[in-house]
Amino acid sequence: MTNDADTHPYGAAVGTLIQRLSGLPGIGRKTAERLANHLVSCREPDALALAEAIRSVRTNVRRCRSCFNLTESEICRICSDPRRNRHQICIVEQPRDVVSLEAAGVFQGLYHVLGGRISPLEGVGPEDLTLDALVRRVRQDEVTEILMATNPTLEGDGTALFISNLLENEPVQITRLARGIASGSVLEFANREMLADAIRGRQNF
Amino acid sequence: MSTESTEAIVIRQADFSETSRVVTLFTRDFGKIATIAKGARRLRGPFEGALDLLAQCQIVFIRKTSNSLDILTEARLTARFRPEARSLHSLYGGYYIAELLDGFTEPYDPHPNLFQEASLMLRMLEAGDRPLQAVLQFELTILREIGQMPVFDSCAACGRPVENNGSFSYWVSQSGLLCRNCQKEEFSHHQIPAGTVEVLRRLAEGDSETASRLAISPAQISSLRRITVPALIDILGRRPKMLRYLG
Repeated sequence: MTNDADTHPYGAAVGTLIQRLSGLPGIGRKTAERLANHLVSCREPDALALAEAIRSVRTNVRRCRSCFNLTESEICRICSDPRRNRHQICIVEQPRDVVSLEAAGVFQGLYHVLGGRISPLEGVGPEDLTLDALVRRVRQDEVTEILMATNPTLEGDGTALFISNLLENEPVQITRLARGIASGSVLEFANREMLADAIRGRQNF
Repeated sequence: MSTESTEAIVIRQADFSETSRVVTLFTRDFGKIATIAKGARRLRGPFEGALDLLAQCQIVFIRKTSNSLDILTEARLTARFRPEARSLHSLYGGYYIAELLDGFTEPYDPHPNLFQEASLMLRMLEAGDRPLQAVLQFELTILREIGQMPVFDSCAACGRPVENNGSFSYWVSQSGLLCRNCQKEEFSHHQIPAGTVEVLRRLAEGDSETASRLAISPAQISSLRRITVPALIDILGRRPKMLRYLG
Protein backbone atom coordinates (compact mmCIF):
# COMPACT_ATOMS: atom_id res chain seq x y z
CA MET A 1 0.00 0.00 0.00
CA THR A 2 1.44 3.40 -0.99
CA ASN A 3 1.89 6.01 1.70
CA ASP A 4 0.28 9.25 0.50
CA ALA A 5 2.09 11.30 3.13
CA ASP A 6 5.47 10.45 1.61
CA THR A 7 4.69 10.20 -2.08
CA HIS A 8 1.91 12.67 -2.95
CA PRO A 9 3.03 15.12 -5.66
CA TYR A 10 1.60 18.12 -3.73
CA GLY A 11 3.69 17.22 -0.72
CA ALA A 12 3.36 15.48 2.63
CA ALA A 13 0.67 17.82 4.08
CA VAL A 14 -1.87 17.06 1.34
CA GLY A 15 -0.91 13.40 1.38
CA THR A 16 -1.54 13.17 5.12
CA LEU A 17 -4.88 14.96 4.75
CA ILE A 18 -5.99 12.49 2.05
CA GLN A 19 -4.95 9.59 4.27
CA ARG A 20 -6.88 10.98 7.25
CA LEU A 21 -10.01 11.73 5.21
CA SER A 22 -10.07 8.31 3.57
CA GLY A 23 -10.08 6.76 7.06
CA LEU A 24 -13.54 8.25 7.70
CA PRO A 25 -16.61 6.03 7.25
CA GLY A 26 -18.13 6.16 3.76
CA ILE A 27 -15.17 8.02 2.24
CA GLY A 28 -13.05 6.24 -0.32
CA ARG A 29 -9.77 7.41 -1.78
CA LYS A 30 -11.28 9.35 -4.71
CA THR A 31 -13.67 11.26 -2.44
CA ALA A 32 -10.81 11.94 -0.01
CA GLU A 33 -8.78 13.43 -2.86
CA ARG A 34 -11.70 15.62 -3.95
CA LEU A 35 -12.24 16.86 -0.39
CA ALA A 36 -8.52 17.54 0.06
CA ASN A 37 -8.39 19.50 -3.20
CA HIS A 38 -11.39 21.53 -2.07
CA LEU A 39 -9.80 22.29 1.29
CA VAL A 40 -6.58 23.38 -0.41
CA SER A 41 -8.35 25.71 -2.84
CA CYS A 42 -11.22 27.12 -0.71
CA ARG A 43 -10.96 30.31 1.38
CA GLU A 44 -8.53 29.85 4.24
CA PRO A 45 -11.02 30.88 6.99
CA ASP A 46 -13.49 28.23 5.75
CA ALA A 47 -10.87 25.48 5.94
CA LEU A 48 -9.69 26.61 9.37
CA ALA A 49 -13.30 26.82 10.61
CA LEU A 50 -13.70 23.15 9.71
CA ALA A 51 -10.50 22.30 11.58
CA GLU A 52 -11.72 24.29 14.59
CA ALA A 53 -15.12 22.55 14.49
CA ILE A 54 -13.42 19.15 14.60
CA ARG A 55 -11.15 20.25 17.45
CA SER A 56 -14.10 21.70 19.37
CA VAL A 57 -16.16 18.53 19.03
CA ARG A 58 -13.31 16.38 20.28
CA THR A 59 -12.58 18.72 23.19
CA ASN A 60 -16.09 19.57 24.33
CA VAL A 61 -18.40 16.67 23.53
CA ARG A 62 -18.76 13.94 26.12
CA ARG A 63 -21.33 11.42 27.37
CA CYS A 64 -24.21 12.67 29.51
CA ARG A 65 -23.65 11.46 33.07
CA SER A 66 -27.23 10.29 33.30
CA CYS A 67 -28.31 8.91 29.91
CA PHE A 68 -24.98 8.56 28.00
CA ASN A 69 -26.22 10.67 25.09
CA LEU A 70 -23.65 13.03 23.56
CA THR A 71 -23.55 16.48 25.16
CA GLU A 72 -21.29 19.43 25.82
CA SER A 73 -22.21 19.65 29.51
CA GLU A 74 -22.29 17.15 32.37
CA ILE A 75 -26.01 16.55 31.86
CA CYS A 76 -27.53 16.68 28.38
CA ARG A 77 -30.22 19.12 27.22
CA ILE A 78 -32.94 16.43 27.33
CA CYS A 79 -32.12 15.17 30.84
CA SER A 80 -32.02 18.72 32.21
CA ASP A 81 -35.33 19.75 30.62
CA PRO A 82 -37.92 20.02 33.47
CA ARG A 83 -40.81 19.52 31.04
CA ARG A 84 -39.76 15.94 30.21
CA ASN A 85 -41.48 13.01 31.91
CA ARG A 86 -38.79 11.59 34.21
CA HIS A 87 -40.68 8.35 34.81
CA GLN A 88 -40.44 7.17 31.19
CA ILE A 89 -37.14 6.00 29.73
CA CYS A 90 -36.65 5.10 26.10
CA ILE A 91 -33.71 2.73 25.53
CA VAL A 92 -31.72 3.15 22.34
CA GLU A 93 -28.50 1.62 21.00
CA GLN A 94 -26.69 4.75 19.80
CA PRO A 95 -26.83 8.55 20.28
CA ARG A 96 -27.93 8.93 16.64
CA ASP A 97 -31.11 6.99 17.50
CA VAL A 98 -31.97 9.75 20.01
CA VAL A 99 -31.68 12.28 17.17
CA SER A 100 -34.08 10.23 15.01
CA LEU A 101 -36.64 9.78 17.79
CA GLU A 102 -36.45 13.45 18.81
CA ALA A 103 -37.11 14.43 15.19
CA ALA A 104 -40.42 12.54 15.45
CA GLY A 105 -41.32 14.93 18.30
CA VAL A 106 -43.69 12.51 20.03
CA PHE A 107 -41.76 11.01 22.94
CA GLN A 108 -41.67 13.29 25.99
CA GLY A 109 -39.71 11.10 28.40
CA LEU A 110 -35.96 10.64 28.85
CA TYR A 111 -33.53 8.38 27.02
CA HIS A 112 -30.88 5.84 27.91
CA VAL A 113 -28.14 5.16 25.36
CA LEU A 114 -26.72 1.64 25.66
CA GLY A 115 -23.65 2.29 23.54
CA GLY A 116 -24.32 -0.69 21.25
CA ARG A 117 -26.18 -3.98 21.37
CA ILE A 118 -25.36 -7.37 22.83
CA SER A 119 -23.56 -9.16 20.02
CA PRO A 120 -21.70 -12.16 21.48
CA LEU A 121 -20.41 -13.27 18.08
CA GLU A 122 -18.66 -9.91 17.69
CA GLY A 123 -17.39 -10.06 21.27
CA VAL A 124 -19.85 -7.49 22.68
CA GLY A 125 -21.37 -8.71 25.94
CA PRO A 126 -23.79 -7.14 28.45
CA GLU A 127 -20.81 -5.82 30.45
CA ASP A 128 -19.84 -3.61 27.48
CA LEU A 129 -23.13 -1.69 27.60
CA THR A 130 -24.42 0.88 30.11
CA LEU A 131 -26.73 -1.64 31.79
CA ASP A 132 -25.58 -1.13 35.40
CA ALA A 133 -26.32 2.59 35.08
CA LEU A 134 -29.75 1.77 33.62
CA VAL A 135 -30.69 -0.45 36.56
CA ARG A 136 -29.53 2.29 38.97
CA ARG A 137 -31.66 4.86 37.13
CA VAL A 138 -34.74 2.64 37.22
CA ARG A 139 -34.36 2.17 40.97
CA GLN A 140 -33.43 5.73 41.93
CA ASP A 141 -35.68 7.75 39.61
CA GLU A 142 -38.95 5.86 40.22
CA VAL A 143 -39.22 4.94 36.56
CA THR A 144 -42.63 3.54 35.63
CA GLU A 145 -42.14 2.72 31.94
CA ILE A 146 -39.22 1.46 29.87
CA LEU A 147 -39.73 1.81 26.13
CA MET A 148 -37.42 -0.50 24.17
CA ALA A 149 -36.28 1.21 20.99
CA THR A 150 -33.41 -1.09 20.06
CA ASN A 151 -33.16 -1.89 16.35
CA PRO A 152 -35.73 -4.44 15.12
CA THR A 153 -33.05 -7.05 14.35
CA LEU A 154 -32.31 -10.38 16.03
CA GLU A 155 -29.51 -8.80 18.08
CA GLY A 156 -31.55 -5.67 18.86
CA ASP A 157 -34.48 -7.81 20.02
CA GLY A 158 -32.07 -10.07 21.93
CA THR A 159 -30.70 -7.04 23.76
CA ALA A 160 -34.23 -5.91 24.60
CA LEU A 161 -35.01 -9.43 25.88
CA PHE A 162 -31.88 -9.42 28.06
CA ILE A 163 -32.87 -6.04 29.55
CA SER A 164 -36.45 -7.10 30.19
CA ASN A 165 -35.13 -10.19 32.04
CA LEU A 166 -32.73 -7.95 33.98
CA LEU A 167 -35.58 -5.69 35.08
CA GLU A 168 -38.19 -8.37 35.68
CA ASN A 169 -38.22 -7.82 39.44
CA GLU A 170 -38.49 -4.04 39.19
CA PRO A 171 -41.95 -2.41 39.36
CA VAL A 172 -41.74 -1.04 35.85
CA GLN A 173 -43.84 -1.54 32.72
CA ILE A 174 -41.77 -2.63 29.73
CA THR A 175 -43.01 -1.70 26.25
CA ARG A 176 -41.38 -1.70 22.81
CA LEU A 177 -41.78 0.26 19.59
CA ALA A 178 -44.64 -0.96 17.41
CA ARG A 179 -43.67 -2.46 14.08
CA GLY A 180 -45.50 -3.28 10.87
CA ILE A 181 -47.03 -1.27 8.05
CA ALA A 182 -45.82 2.31 7.50
CA SER A 183 -48.46 5.05 7.52
CA GLY A 184 -49.32 6.19 4.01
CA SER A 185 -48.39 2.85 2.40
CA VAL A 186 -50.84 0.33 0.98
CA LEU A 187 -51.40 -3.25 2.11
CA GLU A 188 -50.96 -4.58 -1.42
CA PHE A 189 -47.28 -3.63 -1.43
CA ALA A 190 -46.45 -4.49 2.18
CA ASN A 191 -44.26 -7.58 2.46
CA ARG A 192 -45.23 -10.70 4.40
CA GLU A 193 -43.04 -9.78 7.36
CA MET A 194 -44.55 -6.30 7.76
CA LEU A 195 -48.08 -7.70 7.61
CA ALA A 196 -47.28 -10.43 10.15
CA ASP A 197 -45.79 -7.82 12.53
CA ALA A 198 -48.79 -5.55 12.07
CA ILE A 199 -51.25 -8.35 12.84
CA ARG A 200 -49.28 -9.49 15.90
CA GLY A 201 -49.09 -5.92 17.21
CA ARG A 202 -52.70 -4.93 16.48
CA GLN A 203 -54.37 -2.45 18.84
CA ASN A 204 -57.85 -1.73 20.12
CA PHE A 205 -59.66 0.69 17.77
CA MET B 1 -18.50 -14.46 -13.14
CA SER B 2 -21.71 -16.46 -12.96
CA THR B 3 -25.08 -15.80 -11.35
CA GLU B 4 -26.20 -18.44 -8.85
CA SER B 5 -29.39 -18.98 -6.89
CA THR B 6 -29.77 -21.00 -3.70
CA GLU B 7 -31.22 -21.15 -0.21
CA ALA B 8 -29.10 -19.65 2.59
CA ILE B 9 -28.84 -18.86 6.28
CA VAL B 10 -27.22 -15.58 7.36
CA ILE B 11 -24.43 -16.52 9.77
CA ARG B 12 -22.49 -13.27 10.07
CA GLN B 13 -22.74 -9.68 8.96
CA ALA B 14 -20.94 -6.40 9.36
CA ASP B 15 -21.76 -2.91 8.15
CA PHE B 16 -19.43 -1.91 5.35
CA SER B 17 -20.39 1.65 4.39
CA GLU B 18 -23.35 3.97 4.79
CA THR B 19 -25.65 1.54 3.01
CA SER B 20 -23.75 -1.69 2.31
CA ARG B 21 -23.07 -4.73 4.40
CA VAL B 22 -20.69 -7.69 4.23
CA VAL B 23 -22.80 -10.79 4.74
CA THR B 24 -21.54 -14.33 5.30
CA LEU B 25 -24.08 -16.96 4.36
CA PHE B 26 -24.21 -20.71 4.74
CA THR B 27 -25.89 -21.95 1.59
CA ARG B 28 -27.47 -25.26 0.72
CA ASP B 29 -25.64 -25.69 -2.60
CA PHE B 30 -22.33 -23.82 -2.22
CA GLY B 31 -21.49 -24.03 1.48
CA LYS B 32 -20.20 -20.87 3.12
CA ILE B 33 -19.95 -17.74 0.96
CA ALA B 34 -18.89 -14.19 1.81
CA THR B 35 -20.77 -11.51 -0.09
CA ILE B 36 -21.18 -7.78 -0.29
CA ALA B 37 -24.80 -6.64 -0.23
CA LYS B 38 -24.94 -3.14 -1.64
CA GLY B 39 -27.82 -1.13 -0.26
CA ALA B 40 -28.61 -3.76 2.40
CA ARG B 41 -28.95 -1.12 5.12
CA ARG B 42 -31.67 0.73 3.22
CA LEU B 43 -35.25 -0.14 4.11
CA ARG B 44 -36.29 -0.33 0.47
CA GLY B 45 -34.19 -2.32 -1.93
CA PRO B 46 -33.55 -5.82 -3.19
CA PHE B 47 -33.17 -7.24 0.33
CA GLU B 48 -36.13 -5.74 2.25
CA GLY B 49 -34.75 -6.55 5.68
CA ALA B 50 -34.13 -10.21 4.77
CA LEU B 51 -30.48 -10.09 5.84
CA ASP B 52 -30.91 -10.34 9.59
CA LEU B 53 -28.68 -12.77 11.53
CA LEU B 54 -29.94 -16.39 11.20
CA ALA B 55 -32.63 -15.40 8.72
CA GLN B 56 -33.21 -18.07 6.10
CA CYS B 57 -33.64 -16.70 2.60
CA GLN B 58 -33.64 -17.49 -1.09
CA ILE B 59 -30.68 -15.62 -2.57
CA VAL B 60 -29.22 -14.68 -5.94
CA PHE B 61 -25.52 -13.81 -6.06
CA ILE B 62 -22.79 -13.17 -8.59
CA ARG B 63 -19.91 -15.52 -8.02
CA LYS B 64 -16.53 -13.85 -8.44
CA THR B 65 -13.62 -15.77 -9.89
CA SER B 66 -11.03 -13.68 -8.05
CA ASN B 67 -10.48 -13.54 -4.30
CA SER B 68 -12.88 -10.60 -3.86
CA LEU B 69 -16.28 -10.92 -2.23
CA ASP B 70 -19.21 -12.34 -4.19
CA ILE B 71 -21.98 -9.84 -4.88
CA LEU B 72 -25.36 -10.51 -3.35
CA THR B 73 -28.00 -9.13 -5.69
CA GLU B 74 -31.23 -10.42 -4.18
CA ALA B 75 -32.49 -12.00 -0.96
CA ARG B 76 -36.06 -13.01 -0.29
CA LEU B 77 -36.90 -13.91 3.30
CA THR B 78 -38.12 -17.46 3.84
CA ALA B 79 -38.07 -17.61 7.64
CA ARG B 80 -36.79 -15.24 10.28
CA PHE B 81 -35.30 -16.77 13.47
CA ARG B 82 -37.65 -15.75 16.25
CA PRO B 83 -37.38 -17.58 19.56
CA GLU B 84 -41.01 -17.55 20.67
CA ALA B 85 -40.48 -18.46 24.29
CA ARG B 86 -38.61 -15.21 25.13
CA SER B 87 -35.79 -17.51 26.09
CA LEU B 88 -32.22 -16.24 26.04
CA HIS B 89 -31.05 -19.88 25.89
CA SER B 90 -32.86 -20.34 22.58
CA LEU B 91 -31.42 -17.08 21.25
CA TYR B 92 -27.89 -17.96 22.34
CA GLY B 93 -28.35 -21.48 20.91
CA GLY B 94 -29.12 -19.85 17.56
CA TYR B 95 -26.02 -17.65 17.76
CA TYR B 96 -24.00 -20.77 18.62
CA ILE B 97 -25.25 -22.55 15.49
CA ALA B 98 -24.13 -19.53 13.43
CA GLU B 99 -20.72 -19.59 15.12
CA LEU B 100 -20.24 -23.33 14.51
CA LEU B 101 -21.29 -23.04 10.86
CA ASP B 102 -18.83 -20.19 10.38
CA GLY B 103 -15.99 -21.87 12.27
CA PHE B 104 -16.26 -25.43 10.97
CA THR B 105 -17.01 -24.95 7.28
CA GLU B 106 -14.88 -23.74 4.39
CA PRO B 107 -15.93 -21.45 1.53
CA TYR B 108 -17.51 -23.30 -1.38
CA ASP B 109 -17.55 -26.64 0.42
CA PRO B 110 -21.22 -27.63 0.26
CA HIS B 111 -22.85 -29.69 3.03
CA PRO B 112 -26.55 -29.88 2.08
CA ASN B 113 -27.25 -32.21 5.00
CA LEU B 114 -25.67 -29.75 7.44
CA PHE B 115 -27.79 -26.97 5.96
CA GLN B 116 -30.90 -29.09 6.47
CA GLU B 117 -29.95 -29.92 10.06
CA ALA B 118 -29.12 -26.29 10.88
CA SER B 119 -32.49 -25.21 9.57
CA LEU B 120 -34.23 -27.93 11.60
CA MET B 121 -32.34 -27.04 14.80
CA LEU B 122 -33.20 -23.36 14.41
CA ARG B 123 -36.88 -24.30 14.24
CA MET B 124 -36.42 -26.50 17.34
CA LEU B 125 -34.77 -23.60 19.17
CA GLU B 126 -37.61 -21.30 18.13
CA ALA B 127 -40.09 -23.66 19.74
CA GLY B 128 -37.98 -23.21 22.85
CA ASP B 129 -38.84 -26.39 24.71
CA ARG B 130 -35.38 -28.06 24.81
CA PRO B 131 -32.75 -25.57 23.65
CA LEU B 132 -29.76 -27.43 25.08
CA GLN B 133 -30.83 -30.69 23.41
CA ALA B 134 -30.95 -28.83 20.08
CA VAL B 135 -27.47 -27.47 20.78
CA LEU B 136 -26.16 -30.97 21.59
CA GLN B 137 -27.73 -32.46 18.47
CA PHE B 138 -26.16 -29.77 16.32
CA GLU B 139 -22.74 -30.30 17.90
CA LEU B 140 -22.98 -33.98 16.96
CA THR B 141 -24.16 -33.09 13.45
CA ILE B 142 -21.16 -30.80 12.92
CA LEU B 143 -18.76 -33.51 14.15
CA ARG B 144 -20.36 -36.07 11.82
CA GLU B 145 -20.40 -33.75 8.79
CA ILE B 146 -16.73 -32.79 9.09
CA GLY B 147 -15.76 -36.42 9.60
CA GLN B 148 -14.60 -36.00 13.19
CA MET B 149 -17.28 -37.93 15.06
CA PRO B 150 -15.71 -39.59 18.12
CA VAL B 151 -15.79 -43.37 18.32
CA PHE B 152 -18.44 -44.53 20.79
CA ASP B 153 -18.57 -48.29 20.25
CA SER B 154 -15.06 -49.36 21.28
CA CYS B 155 -12.34 -48.25 23.67
CA ALA B 156 -9.94 -45.81 21.96
CA ALA B 157 -6.95 -47.44 23.72
CA CYS B 158 -7.54 -51.23 23.76
CA GLY B 159 -10.22 -51.49 21.06
CA ARG B 160 -12.53 -53.66 23.18
CA PRO B 161 -16.25 -53.12 22.49
CA VAL B 162 -18.00 -50.71 24.85
CA GLU B 163 -20.15 -52.69 27.26
CA ASN B 164 -23.55 -51.75 28.59
CA ASN B 165 -22.36 -51.29 32.14
CA GLY B 166 -19.63 -49.41 33.94
CA SER B 167 -18.46 -45.94 33.10
CA PHE B 168 -16.09 -44.35 30.63
CA SER B 169 -13.86 -41.34 30.13
CA TYR B 170 -13.51 -39.32 26.96
CA TRP B 171 -10.01 -39.09 25.46
CA VAL B 172 -9.98 -35.81 23.55
CA SER B 173 -6.79 -36.24 21.51
CA GLN B 174 -7.79 -39.75 20.37
CA SER B 175 -11.42 -38.72 19.88
CA GLY B 176 -12.82 -41.77 21.65
CA LEU B 177 -13.93 -43.36 24.89
CA LEU B 178 -11.65 -45.07 27.38
CA CYS B 179 -12.88 -48.18 29.17
CA ARG B 180 -12.34 -48.60 32.90
CA ASN B 181 -9.22 -50.77 32.36
CA CYS B 182 -7.51 -48.18 30.21
CA GLN B 183 -8.28 -45.12 32.34
CA LYS B 184 -5.16 -43.81 34.02
CA GLU B 185 -4.99 -41.64 37.10
CA GLU B 186 -3.48 -38.79 35.13
CA PHE B 187 -6.66 -38.73 33.03
CA SER B 188 -8.99 -37.76 35.87
CA HIS B 189 -11.80 -37.08 33.42
CA HIS B 190 -15.48 -36.69 34.00
CA GLN B 191 -17.02 -40.18 34.22
CA ILE B 192 -19.64 -41.05 31.62
CA PRO B 193 -22.10 -43.80 32.57
CA ALA B 194 -22.73 -46.56 30.01
CA GLY B 195 -26.42 -45.53 29.72
CA THR B 196 -25.37 -42.05 28.67
CA VAL B 197 -22.96 -43.49 26.11
CA GLU B 198 -25.86 -45.49 24.69
CA VAL B 199 -27.94 -42.30 24.32
CA LEU B 200 -24.97 -40.64 22.65
CA ARG B 201 -24.63 -43.49 20.19
CA ARG B 202 -28.31 -43.31 19.27
CA LEU B 203 -28.06 -39.54 18.83
CA ALA B 204 -24.95 -39.84 16.69
CA GLU B 205 -26.36 -42.53 14.44
CA GLY B 206 -29.95 -41.35 14.04
CA ASP B 207 -31.31 -38.47 11.98
CA SER B 208 -32.23 -35.27 13.79
CA GLU B 209 -35.98 -35.79 13.61
CA THR B 210 -35.63 -39.14 15.37
CA ALA B 211 -33.12 -37.64 17.81
CA SER B 212 -35.48 -34.74 18.58
CA ARG B 213 -38.06 -37.25 19.79
CA LEU B 214 -35.63 -38.76 22.32
CA ALA B 215 -36.27 -37.55 25.84
CA ILE B 216 -32.85 -36.73 27.26
CA SER B 217 -32.56 -35.51 30.83
CA PRO B 218 -30.74 -32.21 31.57
CA ALA B 219 -28.12 -34.23 33.51
CA GLN B 220 -27.51 -36.47 30.49
CA ILE B 221 -27.26 -33.45 28.18
CA SER B 222 -24.72 -31.88 30.49
CA SER B 223 -22.77 -35.15 30.63
CA LEU B 224 -22.86 -35.61 26.85
CA ARG B 225 -21.74 -32.06 26.17
CA ARG B 226 -18.61 -32.82 28.21
CA ILE B 227 -17.72 -35.02 25.25
CA THR B 228 -18.88 -32.89 22.33
CA VAL B 229 -17.57 -29.52 23.56
CA PRO B 230 -13.94 -30.62 24.18
CA ALA B 231 -14.01 -32.42 20.81
CA LEU B 232 -15.13 -29.22 19.07
CA ILE B 233 -12.59 -27.07 20.93
CA ASP B 234 -9.81 -29.50 20.02
CA ILE B 235 -10.66 -29.31 16.30
CA LEU B 236 -11.34 -25.57 16.22
CA GLY B 237 -8.23 -24.73 18.22
CA ARG B 238 -10.10 -22.25 20.40
CA ARG B 239 -13.13 -22.05 22.64
CA PRO B 240 -16.30 -20.93 20.78
CA LYS B 241 -17.40 -17.51 22.06
CA MET B 242 -20.98 -18.60 22.69
CA LEU B 243 -20.02 -21.28 25.23
CA ARG B 244 -19.73 -18.56 27.84
CA TYR B 245 -23.41 -17.77 27.34
CA LEU B 246 -24.71 -21.33 27.00
CA GLY B 247 -22.98 -22.74 30.06
